[in-house]
Amino acid sequence: MQRAVERRGIPTVSPSVARDVTEHARPPRAVFLPFMMGHHFGVPFHRELQRRIILECLGFVAEARESGEIRDLPITWAEARKEGVAMERSLLSPVPRAPEG
Amino acid sequence: MTEDSSGSRQLRPGLWATVNERYPGSMIHKSHGVPLAPLRKPLNECRVTFISTSGVQPKGTLPFDTVHPVGDYSFRRVPSSARADELDIHQLKYPTAGAERDLNVIFPIERLQELAAEGTIGGLTADFFTFIGYNMDPERLERTLAEDIAAAVSDSGADIALAAPA
Repeated sequence: MQRAVERRGIPTVSPSVARDVTEHARPPRAVFLPFMMGHHFGVPFHRELQRRIILECLGFVAEARESGEIRDLPITWAEARKEGVAMERSLLSPVPRAPEG
Repeated sequence: MTEDSSGSRQLRPGLWATVNERYPGSMIHKSHGVPLAPLRKPLNECRVTFISTSGVQPKGTLPFDTVHPVGDYSFRRVPSSARADELDIHQLKYPTAGAERDLNVIFPIERLQELAAEGTIGGLTADFFTFIGYNMDPERLERTLAEDIAAAVSDSGADIALAAPA
């Protein structure tokens, strides 16, 4: 898919959670994350991570030099999940009140 | 294949070989890359589109045929202004546990809308483009669906395409 778009002159990039599949398919540019399938942009409610992955991908469009290049991001699935759980808890918990007086 | 594959930290290793053994010829293998198209503008002037194999589609549109034996080679347009609760997922072949709680883990439409609104990216194409992966005939996909979506992306005025498998 990326190859067809790229051939029309539009640069493309994708996040990948299956490095071996990406190496075989050779899309023009990819960013690898060791995440669960179906979770290419991270974990629920972790807006910063979702945003970061988009921006890392878009940034790689300007930086990649060779077709088929894959950039690895130093984020683990365990870290992402841990942060996501903490964020979800903070969303669910009541806003702390400022001390009175 | 690059030398890095042996050191891959992917959660489910050997995915390509496993699927290709089970469904011979279903997995894409390319020995050469396509030439890179140049980025012509800074990111904050680029109109970004999003292409996704997630099977996400507007509620009420014809559902993808998730049980067809050789796959569904059609695509849907998803307005980039859509709200997450206006969208459904019609695809069986990936874990949707996260997406059911926050669609942005596989279809980050809200994050893309925010990046456009704050001016980090120049804007979004009117529509995003979705289909379902796990099609069993990669040559047919390349000949039909990939070209259909590429033509639609080209017509959309996109400067960059973010593409996400699921």
